[in-house]
Amino acid sequence: MSIKDISGFQRTLGNADAKGWSQKVDNDFGGFKIETPGVGESGKAKSFGEFLQDSLGKVNDMQHEANTAMEKLASGESQNLHETLMAVEKADISFRTMNQVRTKVLDAYREIMKMQI
Amino acid sequence: MDLLSSLRISSSGLAAQRKRMEAHSSNIANAQTTRTAEGGPYRRKEVVFGSEPARESFSEILEGELAENAQTVHATEVVHSDKVIFKHDPSHPDANAEGYVAMPDINPMVEMANMIEAQRAYESNVTAINTTKQMAMKTLEIGR
Amino acid sequence: MDVNDKTLKALTTALNFREMRQELISSNVANANTPGYKAKKMDFEEALARALDVDGQMQMNVSDGRHHTVGNGGFNNLEPEIYDNPNGVVTENGNTVDVEAEMATMAENKLMYDALVQLINKKMGIMKYAINSEK
Repeated sequence: MSIKDISGFQRTLGNADAKGWSQKVDNDFGGFKIETPGVGESGKAKSFGEFLQDSLGKVNDMQHEANTAMEKLASGESQNLHETLMAVEKADISFRTMNQVRTKVLDAYREIMKMQI
Repeated sequence: MDLLSSLRISSSGLAAQRKRMEAHSSNIANAQTTRTAEGGPYRRKEVVFGSEPARESFSEILEGELAENAQTVHATEVVHSDKVIFKHDPSHPDANAEGYVAMPDINPMVEMANMIEAQRAYESNVTAINTTKQMAMKTLEIGR
Repeated sequence: MDVNDKTLKALTTALNFREMRQELISSNVANANTPGYKAKKMDFEEALARALDVDGQMQMNVSDGRHHTVGNGGFNNLEPEIYDNPNGVVTENGNTVDVEAEMATMAENKLMYDALVQLINKKMGIMKYAINSEK
């Protein structure tokens, strides 16, 4: 590998830079909004609390979707066994993940409270 | 419980088909019988099926939602055919004065077809029993 | 997530109905040679869908505020529809049972029964997990 080729790498790395990439995407895709974490509704940086609340909302939505899918299957409205099971599995996994996050957050909180000022 | 009732219905089907097999295999075995205990040639046997409500007591019928729609089957009677065919065979020990022997009117092909049908019906009842049993076992898995 | 929630009731009700359907199928199969026996069919999907009203599409007029409207989850009074199978081929002794069709219906019924049991287990499982998570 000769020194000449590093410029190619530099360009590639430049393209891979997160900020530059998100700007490029916004420019390239026009109206297609990508949700970048860290930008809240007011345009300022989103707090961790808001982020958690959004996630909880999404987990709740998935639970509702799973419930709807199960009801549709039970009443024969939908014949898609695989879609129902996928929806249920997604809700299941997201719930367990959220529970783990909750545990970790509590642990972190206790850790902080243990600190002697 | 509906599943126990299903088992009873399917086992009644098994019993009925078995009686049918007995009748037709007896027919095949006695296709050439000219002497029976009642005198005269063997008479062809056939079973007639009848159905009746599966629930045993009337209160069960009223309570169950299927009411009299679920029926067990019984081999209600065994019918003896009176038909006799006459074969000309003067050398037969049971030949009458003109040399004709009274033989049972049994066509082995018909009897075989009936036996095959009975076997298939038996198998479908066995499948029904297996499915019912699997459903009951699956129910026990709730909460495990 | 409540132990009495609508979905769990719907799943249990569907299980009950499928059990009944299995009994009806067993009866049809056992009577496949009975003269004059008419094959029976059972429908419960519509009644259940009405009680669930999943999409909020169905409407019903109620005269009294205490009557169940659509979608309230009044699962206790659901009645299935049981009727003679119109697709039966009449044989010469008056029997209309098609054993192969009954076998196919039985297989589908069993599969859905298993799926419902599994869904119930999943729901209960997540509730138990939530209860059991320590700290």
